[in-house]
Amino acid sequence: MKWLDDFFERSSRRAAQRVSRRSALVGIGRLLVGAAFTLPVLPFDRIARAAAGGTGGKKKAPDVYQCDYWRYCAVDGFLCSCCGGTMSTCPPGTEVSKVAWIGTCRNPQDGKDYLISYNDCCGKTACGRCLCNTNLGERPGYRMGLHNDVNWCMANTSSTMFHCTTAVLIGLAEKPS
Amino acid sequence: MSRFIRVAVFASAACLASAAFSEPRYETLTVGRMPEPTPHRLYISDISINHIVDGRLHVIDGDALKYLGMISTGYAGNATLSLDRKELYVATTYYTRLSRGERTDVVDIHDTQTLEHKGEIVIPARHAQALPYKGLARPSSDGRWLFVQNATPASSVTVVDLKARKFAAEIPTPGCWIVIPSQSDGSRFSTLCGDGTLQSIVLNDNGSLKSRARSARFFHPDEDPVFVQTDNIGERHYFVSYKGQVHAADLSGEEPKVEAPWLIATGAEVRKGWRPGGYQLLAVHRKSGRLFVGVHAGGGEGSHKNPAQEIWVFDLEKKQRVAKLPGHNAIALAVSQADQPKLFAVDGMNMGLAVFDAGAKPRFLKRMEQIGEAATLMELH
Repeated sequence: MKWLDDFFERSSRRAAQRVSRRSALVGIGRLLVGAAFTLPVLPFDRIARAAAGGTGGKKKAPDVYQCDYWRYCAVDGFLCSCCGGTMSTCPPGTEVSKVAWIGTCRNPQDGKDYLISYNDCCGKTACGRCLCNTNLGERPGYRMGLHNDVNWCMANTSSTMFHCTTAVLIGLAEKPS
Repeated sequence: MSRFIRVAVFASAACLASAAFSEPRYETLTVGRMPEPTPHRLYISDISINHIVDGRLHVIDGDALKYLGMISTGYAGNATLSLDRKELYVATTYYTRLSRGERTDVVDIHDTQTLEHKGEIVIPARHAQALPYKGLARPSSDGRWLFVQNATPASSVTVVDLKARKFAAEIPTPGCWIVIPSQSDGSRFSTLCGDGTLQSIVLNDNGSLKSRARSARFFHPDEDPVFVQTDNIGERHYFVSYKGQVHAADLSGEEPKVEAPWLIATGAEVRKGWRPGGYQLLAVHRKSGRLFVGVHAGGGEGSHKNPAQEIWVFDLEKKQRVAKLPGHNAIALAVSQADQPKLFAVDGMNMGLAVFDAGAKPRFLKRMEQIGEAATLMELH
């Protein structure tokens, strides 16, 4: 999902792997290399944390439920991991979005940059848990492929209802030249 | 009241002799009426992200800071007032079974004085299901048309005939986004485009496309894009870029004319990363020629929606800052056009509303808390 904030390209996963699309992604990757992946205090964070419920408290929640997990460097939406799915599966009964945006995130374990497809899961009302948002590389709607204040379930035919957002690892980012 | 209690009341009244126990006033349930509108009545769009199918618009008295009522805005509705302020239009989506079934997009028409729903206009099921922004639904300056931004994700604009109450035409606007109605010609609107230009579009009498004209390139969409939030004094329309350049465009002719930009921050401030940020991040008071912008320090790539640490006030003619105000985590700003104007700011962190005197000596006045859930856009009556 893309309502609030996130950064990066959205396109269908298939389109993202086309050469023409890939070249656009390289540009985005270049933009992000060297950028500090800090999570600024953004609007609605407080609301999101309140809504996330069970992930707070004394017990530290697993990383995949936290906005600062490396794959979520460009996420914007309710984490599907908190909604009955995982980073690469939509929650039961939802539908994968036909279009998505692609982020480039650096894995701190190996220092490499990976392409992450932020597909939304659609067809049910909002999950409402673990809202994350960041805006690195985000641009207004006149650069639609880099815009995140619009619903990326919008192209689904059975229902455009936004439920949550995944973070699917789809490949190694090409090194910026 | 039960008989037992009545008896008890009478008994105690008798015992206390002179003690004045009056009979409770029995009530009949009615529907309340709105007070007369003032220039400070606020219409605040709230995408209600946690239950997004059920969006809201809050109506608040910006003088008394009193919650007046609510309008339901459906799934990702985009709202705008009519020119005469008597109606509120919401371009939105409904499914026959809430989250599934047949999709219908409509412009809902609400009466701003009763807050009652008074009708709808069915439009193509392509309206931009987007966070509320000012230019996603706007009336033309003569009140004849309503322009609705579409996204499939291809961009187009639906033209609604407000007099005939029906869909009129759809105009493709590839690579462009947001509607900026001309203030002098009801048959013209402009839009911002990804090649760094403004495009002006002229309509035929039936709302269809007559002609287009582009401005010169005036911003870099990757290096220093302009925010789509705009405000205007007549046909001079103001834009602010991510890095703090103020651009002005004259939209009085068929071809948009842009002027040389100027920077909101000094050299030292730029080094400290002072930048504009927010959603509805700027507002203009026309009579005084003042621009209000939400800004934050330590900004950089990705900080463009950060809440304001300060609100800076500029004299647009002199291109100089004249005041600084506390930011109140503002993500949305609106200023009234009254002689004694007020500036309103939505606190994006706490969902409060801050009010400022926006006159000659701007200052913070007061706050209201808990105005909504995820409010990002205001419009004044």
